[in-house]
Amino acid sequence: MNAAAMVGRVRPRRPVLLVLSAVLTGAVTLAVVAMHGRDAQLSEAQQVQQIASGLHCPVCKDLSVADSPAPLAQQMRDEIARKVRAGESADQIRADFVAAYGDSVLMTPPRRGFSATAYFLPTIVMVMGLAIAVMLVRRWVRGAAPGPDDDEPSPLSASQRRAVQKAVARLREEEPA
Amino acid sequence: MRNILRRRTVLLGSVVAVVTAIVVLLSTGLGRDPSSTASPLIGRAAPDFTLPRLDGPALTLSTLRGQVVVINFWASWCTECHTEQAALAQTWKKFRDSGVVVVGVNFQDTTRDARDYVRTAGVSYPVVEDTNSRTALAYGLRGVPETFIVDQAGRIVDRIIGPVDATRLSDTISSLLAAGPR
Repeated sequence: MNAAAMVGRVRPRRPVLLVLSAVLTGAVTLAVVAMHGRDAQLSEAQQVQQIASGLHCPVCKDLSVADSPAPLAQQMRDEIARKVRAGESADQIRADFVAAYGDSVLMTPPRRGFSATAYFLPTIVMVMGLAIAVMLVRRWVRGAAPGPDDDEPSPLSASQRRAVQKAVARLREEEPA
Repeated sequence: MRNILRRRTVLLGSVVAVVTAIVVLLSTGLGRDPSSTASPLIGRAAPDFTLPRLDGPALTLSTLRGQVVVINFWASWCTECHTEQAALAQTWKKFRDSGVVVVGVNFQDTTRDARDYVRTAGVSYPVVEDTNSRTALAYGLRGVPETFIVDQAGRIVDRIIGPVDATRLSDTISSLLAAGPR
């Protein structure tokens, strides 16, 4: 077996090796992220900011704890920082605030109770809109296509049609400009 | 022809039903003030605290177990807190020998202003300072005044947002005392 023939045999394996190594690298990265979690890569300040931005300032109208200048929001940020330093997870910290304030303290409503409407309502409205649009388009297409009446024979004979056309033409000529 | 009519009726009916449901949901849900909803803490154990008194040693809530406790969050700068002072004083005077404790929790205030107010208003029940607002946050406080009534077993039975009413306080405390420790 000459060298060229060997090269010809080896070359097709390279893409396979490349794909395999890419898949392996991806899998290892995913495993590392899954094991350590996203939060582990964040600094304490970033974790506080992340948790605070998901909580609604209880004394404000539409501000998160992260954005509010209210003293209570500042104290909530301090409390979050204290809990982060104590090793509590973001979910635990959020749960503590929900236990005291209820679900309304969350910036993103939970998928249960009345709050669930925020999730299913847009879908219902979208489906309804689509259904109405499809119905209108179908009606429009049906209207544009020749209807069954167009195929029906005219009640007038050819000579009668010609007479009508002549009469119409004469009337148009007689009309003042 | 009848099929088309039926289909149109069903479609129109569905649209009307969904629109009505959306209107009802939004009018009931969005019109609700989150601050006026019942506290999720009602029926649950009152978060314990140990806080320094304005004029004495620290007070721990759990040491008052077996008594009815009225926890009133207030501040010297809060005018509504001044309004409710008479009702709180009246309640304290009426029930202090019947196993009831009123605890004032000073919120977002300075020690000096709080002391001045307590002296001027003649507050005689224990008053503690929540310097870092941790207790307020544990109770889900949205502002002052806010009052929680804790039963003899340490459970929160009522939450009053805004100035307290002496009659409501009296009725709740009387029913808790009549029921006895549970």
